[in-house]
Amino acid sequence: MSHMDSSLSDEDLDEGQSEVKRIRYDSKIYNVSRRFEKHQRPRRTRLASRDSHSFHVKESNLQGLIFDNGAHTIKINYSFEEEPKIIPNCIMKAKSERKRLFIGSQIDECRDCSGLFYLIPSERGYITKWDVQKPIWDFVLSKNVCPVNNYPVIMTQPLFNFKSIQDCIDEIFFEEYEVSSMFRLNPTDLAVLQYHKEIGAKPPCIIVDSGYSFTHVIPYLEGKKYLKGVRRINVGGKLLTNHLKDIISYRQYHVMEETFVINQVKEDTCYVSQDFKSDLKAAELPPSKNHIIRNYVLPDFNNIRRGYIQDRDQKDEIAENCQILRLNNERFTVPEILFHPSDIGIKSIGIAEAVCKSIFSCPLSFQKDLAKNIVCIGGSTKFDGFRDRLFNEVRSMIPASWEVNVYQPSDPITYNWMGGKVLLKDPEFKSKLVTKQEYEECGMSAIQEKFNQWSIIDIEETVQSKPKIEPVSYIDHLKKYDVFGKGIVSEESSENNEKKNENPEESRKCEEEIDVSSKNDGEEKLNLTDDDKFKLP
Amino acid sequence: MMKQFKSQLRGSNRLKEGDKRRVIDETQRRRRHRKIMELLESDNYQDDPHADLVMSKKVPKFEDNLEQRTTRTKKKERTAEYYQTKFRKNFQQLVDEDRIEADIAGRVSYVDVAAEESNLPPRHFCAVCGFFGHYSCVACGMRYCSIKCMETHMDTRCLKWTA
Repeated sequence: MSHMDSSLSDEDLDEGQSEVKRIRYDSKIYNVSRRFEKHQRPRRTRLASRDSHSFHVKESNLQGLIFDNGAHTIKINYSFEEEPKIIPNCIMKAKSERKRLFIGSQIDECRDCSGLFYLIPSERGYITKWDVQKPIWDFVLSKNVCPVNNYPVIMTQPLFNFKSIQDCIDEIFFEEYEVSSMFRLNPTDLAVLQYHKEIGAKPPCIIVDSGYSFTHVIPYLEGKKYLKGVRRINVGGKLLTNHLKDIISYRQYHVMEETFVINQVKEDTCYVSQDFKSDLKAAELPPSKNHIIRNYVLPDFNNIRRGYIQDRDQKDEIAENCQILRLNNERFTVPEILFHPSDIGIKSIGIAEAVCKSIFSCPLSFQKDLAKNIVCIGGSTKFDGFRDRLFNEVRSMIPASWEVNVYQPSDPITYNWMGGKVLLKDPEFKSKLVTKQEYEECGMSAIQEKFNQWSIIDIEETVQSKPKIEPVSYIDHLKKYDVFGKGIVSEESSENNEKKNENPEESRKCEEEIDVSSKNDGEEKLNLTDDDKFKLP
Repeated sequence: MMKQFKSQLRGSNRLKEGDKRRVIDETQRRRRHRKIMELLESDNYQDDPHADLVMSKKVPKFEDNLEQRTTRTKKKERTAEYYQTKFRKNFQQLVDEDRIEADIAGRVSYVDVAAEESNLPPRHFCAVCGFFGHYSCVACGMRYCSIKCMETHMDTRCLKWTA
């Protein structure tokens, strides 16, 4: 990553200045960003700048605030920084400290995190509780954390973000925070940009985004979303934590109120099994032979702030008076829900199946490349063994001659945020930004169109997969021949009969018509059943 | 005399309980499952610990612990409640609204991309211990794997399940 940050050369700087003259409205941004370049200059190396130029000939030196608004954590920082700040997107209330709310990362100041009560602004990934979201954003954009400072803001929103939610975001950002310009897009859009930058090419790819509220599988063709191939599985980190809470409460301690602690237990101990059946068998063995069982020391928020897995061989003196949680098959049956939601009765396909369905619902010419470029991002992909399991399952469902490749970035949580940096370097990006002026002049729906439409691709499939087979009535076919030895059916009557068989309703109409027009002719033929037809002279 | 009396008293446990045992029908089982799913999506299990707290004026509110931004000059700062009242819609309302809109515009919507049902047969796990459960409870349909687990299930969750 570092070479991209320090890649701004003097040439870029000059161009930046000339652009200030051309486009007036964001002159402020440029003044500010130039200041930061000066600050960064000593860190530049020759090698780094050469490296980045081989990929992008011309890069914009625009700087901005990248704001990845996840349902669980907000990833935010300026584009000239190395890493984003990860801030919980919730307000918490602690039992121990009454009269105080912990907003976002203020929770670090809380001494006793047992029985935390969460106020979460989003419901199934979409913001619905504005009275919770607003104070969090206030906190995140306050002076001590990440003030907007007139930078353009890149903000993320979930796929198919509802219109009234977008209205509210726009109103808050343009009117309340008075941002000078802003751009809103899906986090996976950024992941694609980052992926393309990392591999130095732009193949079609599939993004598997398994986050807190749900898991999305989104195919990107030519860098844009192909909506017909998108699949959403309503399983995310939240459901997994709640499920783990539920089964531990039933089997060992009552921990229903300890979401915070059990989430850590999940992160520390759970893994995705490579061979589910044999792991389950191994878990049945007595503790001495069991390689799956783990003792987890629960935090008491006195001596131990964060729980940890107890070392089997060493005697643990600190943990003597602590509560110990024994985890056995819970370790892998919980993440297993991602691959088999039906295990807990959710009627939905698992991630691997969704990836395959998604690949096969894309136009034929892209399918091979999609299988080669599967990228997993999001917090729930961080389980050990996730990548390998996904690879193995997808491999088994894809034609053997195709290459399958599953890529997992070193940090799947901040990957989207990194993509924001790439977006800012795109010389065309500046024209996509929506300024406050545009917001005031064009209104919300016009700018939302701009946000939502740019990354959608709709390809009509040219190759028809299979010609439709018309239902054939064999009686129709047989009627032409003298099958039953009752003589050849006369041409006139066979025509009538054929009409009858085409469609039951149509033939009924036909009957009526004939009934009215010619009684003599019609009556005999029309009351016949199929079997009787052949008896006609 | 004495012996007869004793056997009358004891009777058969299985038969005695058989009358009392209620079998839950399909709709009720589905309702139960939905309740479990709702629990899995919930933010908290417990009640708000501050609910009984009477907020005095000294208690810091959301706005207080943040310094005022300097950018905002003319207009009065809007409270979080303003946005909550202006954009008050729950999730289901949003989904319904979006679906209707998408139908008219002919675009793909939130509802359309939900993953379909799997072709693979579902696996069953013991509700008590988490291993494969080959038997299901007559009364409620939950799975169990052994007599031991069945007994635990009967004593705890079967028919007593409340979300």
